[in-house]
Amino acid sequence: MLRWLLKTLWLQKASLVASAAGVAGAFVLVVILQAVFAGEARQMVAYARHAPADVWVMQRGVLNMHMANSFVWAWKAKRIAALPGVRAATPILYSGVLVRMRGRTMLAYAVGLEPGAHRAGPWAMAAGKAMPGPGEIVLPRVFAAMTGIGLGAQVGLTDKRLEVVGLSEGTYSMANPVVFVAASDLADLMQAAGTVSYILVEAEPGQDAAALAARIEREVAKVTALPKERFTRNDVQLGMQMGAEIIAFMTLIGSGLAAVIIAFTAYSQVARRRRELAIAKALGVRNREIYAAVGVQTALITGLGLLLALLAAWGLFPLLSALVPQITLELTAGALGRAAAVALVVAAISAWIPARYVARVDPLTAFKG
Amino acid sequence: MDAALLQVRNLAKTFGSGHTEVRAVSDLSLDVRRGELILVMGPSGSGKTTLVSMLGTLLRPSAGSILLDAVDVTRLGEAELPAIRARKIGFVFQAFNLMEALTVEENVLFPARLAPGGVEAAKPRAAALLERLGLAARRSARPPTLSGGEKQRVAIARALINQPPLILADEPTGNLDSQSGQEVAMILHDVARDAGCAVILVTHDPRVEEIADRILWLEDGALRDRRAERHSWVRCPVCGMRVDEWTALHVAEHEGRRVVFCSQRCRERYFDNPAAYAA
Repeated sequence: MLRWLLKTLWLQKASLVASAAGVAGAFVLVVILQAVFAGEARQMVAYARHAPADVWVMQRGVLNMHMANSFVWAWKAKRIAALPGVRAATPILYSGVLVRMRGRTMLAYAVGLEPGAHRAGPWAMAAGKAMPGPGEIVLPRVFAAMTGIGLGAQVGLTDKRLEVVGLSEGTYSMANPVVFVAASDLADLMQAAGTVSYILVEAEPGQDAAALAARIEREVAKVTALPKERFTRNDVQLGMQMGAEIIAFMTLIGSGLAAVIIAFTAYSQVARRRRELAIAKALGVRNREIYAAVGVQTALITGLGLLLALLAAWGLFPLLSALVPQITLELTAGALGRAAAVALVVAAISAWIPARYVARVDPLTAFKG
Repeated sequence: MDAALLQVRNLAKTFGSGHTEVRAVSDLSLDVRRGELILVMGPSGSGKTTLVSMLGTLLRPSAGSILLDAVDVTRLGEAELPAIRARKIGFVFQAFNLMEALTVEENVLFPARLAPGGVEAAKPRAAALLERLGLAARRSARPPTLSGGEKQRVAIARALINQPPLILADEPTGNLDSQSGQEVAMILHDVARDAGCAVILVTHDPRVEEIADRILWLEDGALRDRRAERHSWVRCPVCGMRVDEWTALHVAEHEGRRVVFCSQRCRERYFDNPAAYAA
């Protein structure tokens, strides 16, 4: 039965490829959405991942960076630095800001760096210097690509005018672009003299981060200390919550489109063989055997479509990144798994329609010349 | 005498209801023994296909019973019928009905997976059938490359692969030229004689009358025996149309004489004024 259906599919190669291409078209959308989601989820914690901190210390009750406000007395950084197991404690200021560039206003998160805190600054540069002084700013390269500004340009940061002195790599995400300024400039904007937002704590070699975090919370009042892994996970989870509904909705649309295409394809493949199905039934083949074969056929078309979609997505990724620099695409095993799971569900739903058709095929049709 | 393989009793099939009711088969009874080849003939719309569909368990009768190998198939559920069709009945269709994507051998083996032993056990049988039907050299060919006669021989091999006791052939020579038609008819004849199958052959084709053990004439849903060897042509006394006395439905006795009419209308006109048609 299966051999017959597969050979029939093979006999109609052009139709099979056209069907798979149609399915691929719908799945490309799903795969790209998954890749955008995965890329964005990774990129929005890029600073937290790269910053030199084994333990993040912040205002008590604060658990992450994105959309958070944290105020800690600056002297606590010195107190922490003096604790056993601490190699270095680097304070940063952190706040959501509006950046105005060539008539465009963009939301960003500003990291205020103390002089000498190089390691808390950008970790890769496209151009210029990494450490901004007073009146200077380091922007993500993507900002420059989007607005056409370059080094030496003036940008507005709330009520300040700052000169672009550096373009950083890997610091842009749609939810969380990071700009770097001098701590004094940001403190002035935040009216937060004497405070810092986060303290990046580096542990001595061999020091367990969780134990160090616990020690900091014991020794320093009114702070939360979290190991880096836990801290970044909190941000990713928040981002997922914020973006998941949109991505889920878009995935639903893409999947729905794929389901319609697969169902139509599988239906037309089956309908084209109505007479042969009637013959098979007349010869004694049971409906359930035909259902199973139609299911495999639908899964095959879906699988082929998914494979084509992945190939197309690989080809499209560089193009999309060039055309839309603000998106970060990442095809992770998880994203692939989700796309495959969506494909499986879509195939199962889509097979139901031709299966209904098969059930209605009258074996008596075989007698009609 | 052997017990009949197929026992049909008071079989009827009605389509529609009320004013649109059509009785396709009416109170039909029939016994068929193993090794017997029966021809079912009749005009278009006489119910031949309806009859063969019911015998093939593809259509449920409105009334009556069909005992196939002592099993009343009219009482079986839908789930049980495919197995009966796969194991007890071989079908030969007018349009050959081969699977286009499969080779000759795969087509022949197609129903084998539905029978005990499956495809592997059936392969030697398939090889023997292909050899016997002159298709050994074409075992790897696909149907579009076969002639009509070859296609029908493949269909016959497929019908025989599960060694069913009953073969139902619906117009098997209808799409064939004279020589191929004769060849297929002789194969079916041999199937009945050598394999001991009961063969019911529905046809319009008078060329195959010679091979039949019995010829049944089906008209207006009713069945009657008809001698194979000849027709008995008489003239309808009313309109003068030529009518076969063996198959005529409208026959009456009048003044000690058998009178055959072409239709009920002519019969009524005759009895309105018999004297007018006395000559």
